[in-house]
Amino acid sequence: MLALIQNETIKLLRRRRFAIVIGILIAILAMVSYSQYRQLRDQRNRNWRAEIQQRIASYQNTLRRGRVNPSWQRSLRAEINRLQFYLDHDIEPDKPTAPIFVRTFANVAGFLLLPLLIGVLGSDIVSAENAEGTDKLLLTRPVRRWKILTSKLITLWMFATLTLFCGAILSYLISAPVLPRGGWDAPMFTGFTITKTAFKADAIRQLPLWNDTLIAYGLEWYALLAVASIALMLSVIFRSSAASIGTMLASLIGGTILTRISPDWTAGKYLFVSALPLADYYTGEPPPYDGMTMLFCITLLGAWAIATTIVAYVLFVRRDVFG
Amino acid sequence: MIGHAAYLMPSHETSTLVASNLTKKIGKKTIVNSVSFELRAGEVFGFLGPNGAGKTTTIRMLVGLIRPTAGTVTICGQDVRRHFEQAMRCIGCIVETPDLYRFMTGRENLEHFARMLRAPSTDIERVANIVALGHRLDQRVREYSLGMRQRLGIAQALLGHPRLLILDEPANGLDPAGIREIRELLRGLASTGMSVFVSSHLLAEIELMCDRVAIIHKGNILRDGTVRELISSQRAMEFHVADVARASQVLQQRNVPFTPDHDRLFLPIDESEAAPIIRALVDNGVDVFSARPRVHTLEEMFIDVTGGETVD
Repeated sequence: MLALIQNETIKLLRRRRFAIVIGILIAILAMVSYSQYRQLRDQRNRNWRAEIQQRIASYQNTLRRGRVNPSWQRSLRAEINRLQFYLDHDIEPDKPTAPIFVRTFANVAGFLLLPLLIGVLGSDIVSAENAEGTDKLLLTRPVRRWKILTSKLITLWMFATLTLFCGAILSYLISAPVLPRGGWDAPMFTGFTITKTAFKADAIRQLPLWNDTLIAYGLEWYALLAVASIALMLSVIFRSSAASIGTMLASLIGGTILTRISPDWTAGKYLFVSALPLADYYTGEPPPYDGMTMLFCITLLGAWAIATTIVAYVLFVRRDVFG
Repeated sequence: MIGHAAYLMPSHETSTLVASNLTKKIGKKTIVNSVSFELRAGEVFGFLGPNGAGKTTTIRMLVGLIRPTAGTVTICGQDVRRHFEQAMRCIGCIVETPDLYRFMTGRENLEHFARMLRAPSTDIERVANIVALGHRLDQRVREYSLGMRQRLGIAQALLGHPRLLILDEPANGLDPAGIREIRELLRGLASTGMSVFVSSHLLAEIELMCDRVAIIHKGNILRDGTVRELISSQRAMEFHVADVARASQVLQQRNVPFTPDHDRLFLPIDESEAAPIIRALVDNGVDVFSARPRVHTLEEMFIDVTGGETVD
């Protein structure tokens, strides 16, 4: 099995896909770091309390005017409560530092960028062998098909982990030259609970930033392993890498649009896309549907991962390989 | 056609591959219909057929890429479906085209497949030398010509000392010199006791390369035998006579089958049977200018048995 994983790793690196993924990460992080740096420069003499009060007032106005759909109302209310909490406790939120940047990366990249990059890596792992015709050689060697697929799944998991890890390291390395470097022990507040009617801060916990960051990355890592399993299934189903990347892209974006546009269609909470921003929900972002507790999201992603992996194995092991 | 009884008790010492009653149906369409054949150690076996005849589907069933609807494949005594790993350890193959990883070098490709076989790295040098590719091994496969890819494919197939080599259209895309090289290579491998299975539509090649040939058409094996047997089964005598009408009468009276063609008559007989016919013709006043055996080439026979279908 080690030899098989070694083979898959060499092929993945040789295809240069991972280099592209890292390149995309660097480009995006550099741009965001720069914008954060400008924000920091502009904020040097700001009165953050006044700004937050202004934001709260503006959100309240929006709510009073009505005309916004229920899910948007809910997130506005949540945001108001969150800001009020910072105000009450005299904590300046949103102040850009390199550690905060690393922490924020887990949230913003976790539900679209990283899954997409994993999709790019995953699409190649089986589809490309079909498209290039090398599957005929791979599957006529004295190794059972399930072993080959297992080596591919493990390799993909490894690279999903590595992508997230590189994302974390790079987000620090790239932002550190332009943003304040310290502040790993800054207090973070998590555990806001939002329901249709109420915002609860009783379960709130205060954690140092580094600890909070580890938890956020841990959750994101779990979500990305699930994404990798889904990507593997798509890669088994589609013979072309483009079709497999395209389907991943469409389901990520389509799912996100669906959860935003029609929050009343509650079956939407069973889409894997709904549960993907684990780090967001952990931070206090309201999930698009009621009843999506952290446990629900984790179970849902696990169920998706297991189901898609079973489909991938059954298809891969049983199917006839035609030209 | 070899009878089915021959497959009930395959002699494992000499048979490297036994396909018995292989059938593949997709929906209601039968792509391969009860195909049986056997390969012995040290022989080159040719598998001939026009495109769409079921050649590649049969090969894919042999190597476990496609699940047969019915029938079994036994390689070195191991059932391909039940003991896949043991069976595959005995064979090296190229299915359809020698597709290797184009973004890796020849050596990296060989290392990749050697790792799957747990073959030692010395094996890589060995197979590279057999196909004379040693000096180009560190170039990317992307830069290889088709001939070089074909050779790298064969090198890959030779990793791990297989007892059976299955090559789909190994002469495809090669120039005459390259084809000759491959032919000599395969004959050389067979002389060391390896079985070589070669599919082709290049009949002239098969004729020179193979000990035995099976002809597949529309999913059925039409003929199966040594090259000499198959050619001689098509043997005919050609008679050049002065009066075809008169000669035809004479032959009809004696119940001898024949096919007239202008001033010639073709009789499905052997040289040794010609004398009484000539005597009868001459006695009945038909002048015989010449009588000569006509040996069909495999190609002519092929066109005969497949109903004149073109071979490409």
